[in-house]
Amino acid sequence: MDRTINALERRRVRAGVWQRTSPFAIVFFAGRTVRNFARSFIQLVAAFGALAVLIERIPAAVLAIPFGIAAIVAGGVLQYWFFRFRLEEDRILIRQGVFRKTALDLPFDRVQGINVERSPVDRILGLVTVSLDTAGSVAAEGQLPSVSTGLAEWLRTKAGAGGPARSAGAAGDDDGQPAGQVAPAAAGRAGARGEIVLRLAAGDIVRIGLANRNIVLAAAFLGLLSEVLQIGEDAVESAMESAEAAFQAADEIVQTLLVAGFVLSGLALVLAVVIGGAFLRYHDFTLWREGGAFRSRAGLLTQREVVVETAKIQQLTLSQNLLMRLLRGFRLRALPAALLPGQGVEGTGIGRTEVLEVPFLKAPKAEELRSEVFGSEGGSLTLVPQDGGFVRVSPHYVRALTLRISVAAALVSAPLLAPLLAALAGAHFADGAGAPPGEGFPAPSPGGGAAVAAALGVFLWWLVLVPPAALLAWQRWRRQAYLHDRDGLASRSGFFGRKVDAFLFRKAQGVAVNRSPLQRRKGLATLQVQLACGRVAVPYIDHGLACRLRDRVLHRAESSRRRWH
Amino acid sequence: MFVNPEVPPDSIPSAEDLDWQPLHPRFARRLRAGALLRIAVLAVVAAAIHFFATSGGAGPLVRAVAGLLPAMWAAVAAISAWALLWPTIAVPRRGYVVCEKDILHRSGVLWRSVKAVPFNRVQHTATDSGPLDRRFGLANLSVFPAGAGGHKICGLGADTAEELRVYVSARIEAESEETAD
Repeated sequence: MDRTINALERRRVRAGVWQRTSPFAIVFFAGRTVRNFARSFIQLVAAFGALAVLIERIPAAVLAIPFGIAAIVAGGVLQYWFFRFRLEEDRILIRQGVFRKTALDLPFDRVQGINVERSPVDRILGLVTVSLDTAGSVAAEGQLPSVSTGLAEWLRTKAGAGGPARSAGAAGDDDGQPAGQVAPAAAGRAGARGEIVLRLAAGDIVRIGLANRNIVLAAAFLGLLSEVLQIGEDAVESAMESAEAAFQAADEIVQTLLVAGFVLSGLALVLAVVIGGAFLRYHDFTLWREGGAFRSRAGLLTQREVVVETAKIQQLTLSQNLLMRLLRGFRLRALPAALLPGQGVEGTGIGRTEVLEVPFLKAPKAEELRSEVFGSEGGSLTLVPQDGGFVRVSPHYVRALTLRISVAAALVSAPLLAPLLAALAGAHFADGAGAPPGEGFPAPSPGGGAAVAAALGVFLWWLVLVPPAALLAWQRWRRQAYLHDRDGLASRSGFFGRKVDAFLFRKAQGVAVNRSPLQRRKGLATLQVQLACGRVAVPYIDHGLACRLRDRVLHRAESSRRRWH
Repeated sequence: MFVNPEVPPDSIPSAEDLDWQPLHPRFARRLRAGALLRIAVLAVVAAAIHFFATSGGAGPLVRAVAGLLPAMWAAVAAISAWALLWPTIAVPRRGYVVCEKDILHRSGVLWRSVKAVPFNRVQHTATDSGPLDRRFGLANLSVFPAGAGGHKICGLGADTAEELRVYVSARIEAESEETAD
């Protein structure tokens, strides 16, 4: 089946015809319209509110509902009709748009990854929705809805193995695919999906759900709610009293049981939601390694497939929140380049690119994946935050951070505290200034005493804030550490949880050494390495070390002849 | 043929002892001119508030503002003095170096920063100049690597900026050819 589709696609490539996707793409386009609309919550509420009011006034307005649905479907049909794409040997061209036409010309070597999504409808029909990940702002436009699996495979080979320069670069990283790979090879490979690196069992997915940090929030919320309800139940109690006078003695027990039952069922509901959500997203999570790329697939209803070429990974991030720590698990993310200039103006970028994510894994597996991604380089790096090799940054970091946190907190809270301070100052300086001072609003006749009192008040408040700020800063410092070898650097950070960002020097885009006045006094510096996917900073290390690392980063980046993306 | 000999750490050139190029001598004056324009706007706003507070009705808020007028003018004076003085302090501490393989930029008075971008990571370059820059014959050079965070070297002479842009573009070409080999 795949093979015949592929033959057809190849004929089309040669002819260079403009083609449409399958008509089932209408579902995709209509769905996208609905999603875009729903994304703006206010818009949605306003529309439904207006509709409800309208229906109440004029019952015939109910007709607006089928009409609206018809309009969305018609819009989907139109978008489908105007969506065409053309495949060439080295690029894909997409033309779309009903009113505002857009034309996308995307060379395959610009493609960072090819990601596939399969909705339940798609799965029944053997179709897929392909997103061509360009790491640029065109990501949203580079989507091919409802195309055949064969075409997706073909695109994947195209993006995976480009010109000779690329494969030569890849060869340095790993045992990359031979250059000029052709479609039949991909079709043959479609069945055998490379070597399975990791597969998550149901138990692991339950753990992912349990480690969801929303659980803590939900538990806190439930606790609060039960408090509130206890007050509310006083009203219920009186009703119950009259109805069941016989059980009056047991009332308190019943009430307690009710609240306990409510909290327990609420907790069960939260658990069901987070675990259900984890299954929806990560069911049957499988990670394959195929030549020079990693491919992950997961999802209960809509299956998402993410493929990222190893050579294009800029940074690895292993994180562990507090709950994950109890379960001794980690989450690994492989970040590709976020935004290549020229493909869009400066933007956040990262939200658009698909990140290869392993939602739950143990430390040894993470290390194994790290060595596979980094290849022979960065052999003495580690992703595991508990590793003894990590070196803490200078303790002066605590001081700087304490100052930063306490001043920020004092400045933010001072206006809120103004009435209190004013009252205090009013009591102390009642005969001196006469008018209460305040930071938020000017006093009618600002006497010198009042101003001094205000300043003193803020200062005292700041002094009160210093110890808790110091505690926060100390905890932050305990997490902050770094580890480097000849080829790369790993930086640990976090507060409750831990996170390790690791990268290879040769992937750096730029590097900065920053020094604050305190750092200059103490001979320290902050090293900031700019990567294509973001920034990794190592604060408060020795200035000499920062400079040596900076020069090493530059040397590696400048002398490396391997491609970085 | 791919060669990558190991380089002993000591022989890696350091960015510390470099011959930093100063910015254009007119740049401080240009910054002061820009500051003067902003001060003028600020003074007009302050004068408007002054006028409103002294001639308006006698509400409690107006009286409160009237009481603060000296403080306001003092603040305007302080800001003006600072804005005019700042370029004299800050400009000599900024600078750039164009090396064979990278371009460095330093800035900052209290919080100092030295940034470097290798040429083989630069995606594109741009020069820009506002009306005031052109009045003083200056231009700014921007260097963009992938991702965020490139340089923007402000206050170069217009011809220096253009020369540098051409040079950096040529270096990018050369580097990408080298990589393609």
